[in-house]
Amino acid sequence: MLRIENLTKVFGRTVALDGLNMTVEAGALYGFVGPNGAGKTTTIKTVIGLLAPDDGRVLVNDIDVAKEPDRVMARIGYVPDAFGVYDNLKVSEYMEFFASCYGLAGLKARKRGQMLLEQVGLDDKADFYVEGLSRGMQQRLCLARALIHNPPVLIMDEPTAGLDPRTRYEFKEILKELRNQGKTVLISSHILSELAEICTDIGVIDQGRMVFEGSMEEILAQINVASPLLISVSGNRQKALELLRAHPEVETVTIREEEIAVGFSGDKRDEETLLKQLVEAGVNVYGFVRERGNLESVFMQITDHSGEEVVLLHED
Amino acid sequence: MRINPIYRQESRAGARSFKLPLIILGFNSVLAVVALLYMDSMIAQVRLTAEIQYSSFLGLYSFVTTMEFVLLLFVVPALTAGAISGERERQTLDLMLTTRLKASDIVAGKLVQGLSTVFLLIVSSFPILGLVFIYGGVTMADVGLMLLCYVVTSVLLGSAGLFCSAAARRSTRATVAAYSVLVLLTAGTLMVNYLAEGLGTMPQGNGAADWPLYLLLCNPAATFQTILNSQMGSGSGLTVIFPQLERITEIGFVGRYWWPVSMAVQLLMAAVFLWGAVRKTRPAGRGRRPR
Repeated sequence: MLRIENLTKVFGRTVALDGLNMTVEAGALYGFVGPNGAGKTTTIKTVIGLLAPDDGRVLVNDIDVAKEPDRVMARIGYVPDAFGVYDNLKVSEYMEFFASCYGLAGLKARKRGQMLLEQVGLDDKADFYVEGLSRGMQQRLCLARALIHNPPVLIMDEPTAGLDPRTRYEFKEILKELRNQGKTVLISSHILSELAEICTDIGVIDQGRMVFEGSMEEILAQINVASPLLISVSGNRQKALELLRAHPEVETVTIREEEIAVGFSGDKRDEETLLKQLVEAGVNVYGFVRERGNLESVFMQITDHSGEEVVLLHED
Repeated sequence: MRINPIYRQESRAGARSFKLPLIILGFNSVLAVVALLYMDSMIAQVRLTAEIQYSSFLGLYSFVTTMEFVLLLFVVPALTAGAISGERERQTLDLMLTTRLKASDIVAGKLVQGLSTVFLLIVSSFPILGLVFIYGGVTMADVGLMLLCYVVTSVLLGSAGLFCSAAARRSTRATVAAYSVLVLLTAGTLMVNYLAEGLGTMPQGNGAADWPLYLLLCNPAATFQTILNSQMGSGSGLTVIFPQLERITEIGFVGRYWWPVSMAVQLLMAAVFLWGAVRKTRPAGRGRRPR
């Protein structure tokens, strides 16, 4: 549905996008996450044809944006992070104006506009002036506007930034509804947890490169890998440390007061094997559990570019 | 017939704004006050001398049209200089560029909207211009030709304003640039002529050269003055600042057909400005392959 191949964009000496590759499948609700300045907006602006790439290409339904921008624009709806307000224009007129920008006019445009205003819960505001709406309402209106030509792909650049929790919730509900309608949605944010509950796929961009791309299940599995194993032993702690140090799946060992925190890259089965080895070696294990992780810790780990090497810590 | 969406939206929003009635009121007030004061001074002179000078009544036409022309010079850049940069500042330009609208549609819509405001100003000033018909001496064809000059001037300055608006990121800069273009076209070309004339009449000089006169083809004020000269005879309107126009008949074909040639040149310049505005408005990623 949306494919980005080797996208590169340089502004002066700054490399904004560095050979970015990305695939958004049809019907997916794709969360495009990255820290500020990672290249999210540059990517989106390149996808919608506002910026020209220095290298690579963007395909929407196998149509190259650079070659056939008009065909691509007919298939894309765009919601920016900032909502542009026209003075002296009513909500219904705002919808009609953008309908006419897509060649829709008359009764058909009015009906489509009304239907979308209902969908975003603004049907009772049709005769209000756009500039008088709250920010949350303006953002919902912007979403309705982006859908006026019924595009199969919707691209949203941090649409919930600056909205209150209630409006964010309402916005997410609308996105779920769009997903159910079969729309392909690309939504960017710098907060991974914000997208976790609605997205089917996640792509994490950092310094212009895709550092993680996969389904929501895959990123949730990463939480386990990212969080350390907490092992509590009574007596014979030295023996346990020797065994852990020699284990190929163990990356870090940190001694805490009551427990040993082990950076462990293995899966559930490897965890079982490790526990069995400890017990067979005569270590009294009375606690063996993965520390409760969260999406933000995964995000921090994925986008960490401090360059520090992982160091095995020893008791002595 | 499909109406340009930008023009339709701007017209609708503009009709609700106080800005347009204020511009019309201000424009016509200045024009009416000047015209009525001129008429009053004429009548006072008649009362004083008991002598009616027919040329004074023709002077009313010259005075009103010159005033209207000068007002247009100042109003048109103001109407168009913020058109595209304003969309950029409101962050609505990107929204429009991601629709099926082309940059040329946006520029055309903005130009037509700006010109329609100018036409409204011109039409609304008809009653004031009509004062000249009380005394006669001016034909409808004369007035029609003058209106054509206004239209061409508005198209040129409107296009220049749009180019500045598309090139500048801020409306303030766009407005400064648009007025700079106006000064360059009017005072700039005139200054070059004065300079060339001054150098030509120095002791070692060979007389005033002809080439600087061709620069005045770009000057809408020179076109206006040529038309006024052809209708009223020299000595009217802006003659005092355009003494060079007395020599244009000496430069052959262009001199004989000065106003049609200058209008053609100015329309050509307008086309170049519009082309530039479209280029500057068009998003970078449209139809451009990676380097």
